[in-house]
Amino acid sequence: MKISQLFKLPFIIIGVLIFISSCDYSPEKVKFKRYRVAGERLFEQHCANCHQKNGEGLRGLYPPLAGSDYLKNEFEKSICIIKNGTNDTLTVNGKVYNLPMPSIDLGNIEVAEIVTFVYNSWGNEKGLIDVKEIESLLKSCE
Amino acid sequence: MIRSVIALALVTLFFYECKPTIKKELPLPKLGRFEIVKNGDGVDTVFHQIEDFKFVDQDSNWVTNETFSKGIYIADFFFTTCPDICPKMKAQMLRVYDSIGSEPSLMFLSHTIDPKHDSVAVLKDFSERLGVDGAKWKFVTGDKEVIYKLGQTSYMASIADQGAAGLTHSGRFFLIDKNRHIRGAYNGTDAEEVNVMIGDIKKLLNEN
Ligand code: HEC
Repeated sequence: MKISQLFKLPFIIIGVLIFISSCDYSPEKVKFKRYRVAGERLFEQHCANCHQKNGEGLRGLYPPLAGSDYLKNEFEKSICIIKNGTNDTLTVNGKVYNLPMPSIDLGNIEVAEIVTFVYNSWGNEKGLIDVKEIESLLKSCE
Repeated sequence: MIRSVIALALVTLFFYECKPTIKKELPLPKLGRFEIVKNGDGVDTVFHQIEDFKFVDQDSNWVTNETFSKGIYIADFFFTTCPDICPKMKAQMLRVYDSIGSEPSLMFLSHTIDPKHDSVAVLKDFSERLGVDGAKWKFVTGDKEVIYKLGQTSYMASIADQGAAGLTHSGRFFLIDKNRHIRGAYNGTDAEEVNVMIGDIKKLLNEN
């Protein structure tokens, strides 16, 4: 090997390393991305009418999801609401809301995708919420 | 060759410049059925009008055609617990309210099509939650039959109570002038159409 080629070698190795590290083959991450992308689409289709595309809600009628203390602190209850809707009143960031949220006809996988999107948007970073986790959580909804 | 290209370009430019640029603004049409009636030697056109109505608003005041006779108004049909299109309509109407709601001769009229649930108190709560001025934006309730009939015959809105399947209604916004004529109908869930409506409102305000 010529001496000049030897000099190039470290650069080639670094280049290859950068290349490999930039592709992420972790199946968890791929699944997370898939969930989140599908969840965003479903959110726009089923939820954004009321909660708005940016998650800020609509005045005193529909509560915000972005920055919602309820969403943050009440993980199980939020999942039940997303699946089953609610006729109750509930308090978000100190404000009481009273309109019903309809039950939207969603399969468990769709719920998981939406929940993954909602819990990884607007500053939330809960990571992947798998459909299996959703299924077991939904059993405890009233 | 070059010379002919230049010549062609000049000719094109010439014709392009000649395009008429003054477009005459046409008044907004009057929508609905109309009749031609004899008037002396000539004829008159009688346009479709919103019939007489009398409802109660969120502050327990009577609301009639008189309430709006000094200016123009936008009307729609909704109900407070509506799951699908009303939230979109309300978000759009709110955008209109925020952009030109301060015009003194513009008002808003939202009829509930679910008077059984949407009592005066419920409408009051709804309008307060929306954060709008009750003198400007009337949420009205009344006899269900009367509201449905007015919707269907005056506004030509499709409204139906399909029992268990729920209430359905058109998501339209209607622009009404001070003579009770319908001057525009727009899809209230579509931001583009609502933008057109905002333009038409400005036109109509100038006409008055
Ligand atoms: C028709 C309007 C409407 C639609 C559509 C809707 N929601 Fe709601 N949502 C509400 C209302 C109203 C409440 C408050 C319920 C109450 O007062 O009991 C609420 C509450 C919530 C809450 C708990 C409170 C908060 O803000 O953190 C979550 C989470 C939520 N919705 C998520 C969703 C998701 C996800 C979807 C789509 C699958 C959705 N909603 C679709 C109206 C709606």
